[in-house]
Amino acid sequence: MNTTTTPQDILILQRQAPYGSSIAREGLDFILTSAAYDQNLSVLFLTDGVFQLLTNQNSKAIGLKNHAGALEVLPLYDIENLYAVSEDLMERSINPSDILAGVNIINREQAKQLIEQHTKVIGF
Amino acid sequence: MMNTAEFDDEGFLINLDSWDEKLATQIAKNENITLSPAHLEIIHTLRTFYREHEVALANRPFVKLIKNTYGPDKGNSIYLMTLFPESPAKIAAKIAGLPKPANCL
Amino acid sequence: MASPYSSQSSLSALKFAQTCIDQQHTIYRVFFYHDGVHSTSQLHSPAQDETNVFQQWQKLAQSHKMDLVTCIAAALKRGVINEEEAKRYQKSQHNLGESFELSGLGQLLDAQLNSDQLVTFG
Repeated sequence: MNTTTTPQDILILQRQAPYGSSIAREGLDFILTSAAYDQNLSVLFLTDGVFQLLTNQNSKAIGLKNHAGALEVLPLYDIENLYAVSEDLMERSINPSDILAGVNIINREQAKQLIEQHTKVIGF
Repeated sequence: MMNTAEFDDEGFLINLDSWDEKLATQIAKNENITLSPAHLEIIHTLRTFYREHEVALANRPFVKLIKNTYGPDKGNSIYLMTLFPESPAKIAAKIAGLPKPANCL
Repeated sequence: MASPYSSQSSLSALKFAQTCIDQQHTIYRVFFYHDGVHSTSQLHSPAQDETNVFQQWQKLAQSHKMDLVTCIAAALKRGVINEEEAKRYQKSQHNLGESFELSGLGQLLDAQLNSDQLVTFG
């Protein structure tokens, strides 16, 4: 792969719930790949994407891997800039204490700024 | 006896449930590695991690996992390269009977 | 990222690529991910009065030397496979179109890093 040598800031948007489609999982695969190539990554969970962050997931019965369990590996890949939109959590009755530790909760205005600050944005 | 049908063409276990330490010793032997308690300590850590997270780790996060578990004396790439030469995460996963890191990586 | 014929987005991607070329933009790469990998199977056989999405990409690739990459992990699990991988996984058939290359997700990252604009469909 002929990547440029300087790491770039990339923002990844996770917009879908974890199991209805495999987009969330394939987005995670992109995140892990980009981390392995030493890019500076931030991940923003918004709209239904905030469902991915619920810690109490049990997907065994539907034959799929546990998404929250997989998201817990992000610190091992040195991905620590994780964000969730407070309004999206609230609208879905998700209590901030029920989501993955280490996620920064920001409001919609801050999320908009985060997106504006990045020239490289990819959405899943 | 080594049943060749149990492995893919790169030597990764196909039926992950069939793993035991005896099988691990055989897989290691194919990689010219004599399994020691030091190897098994890492292998079991990796298996426990996989049971919980179901993610096949790349090299750097693998080193970090071992560092978080056992401290920097074992959590460094030199130590892990000595135990599992060339590509520690891949070789350790193979001996641990875990899936290889995905093609996309 | 979406499946052809089920979703409109594969046609949108195709039209967008054609328009970019018409307007003299450079397309660094087209990366087929998720269900989008189905667009790269040469076995599409729609009715005569429908667009053959695969054929249109293949035509575009041949006339403009485009770099068309199909995500290998996404493709293999969905049964889109080339001759080499078919041998490796002991499958008797293969279906990836000749203008497409199976490669890793790193190619999507590489395209993002080296382009001014990344556009996703699906």
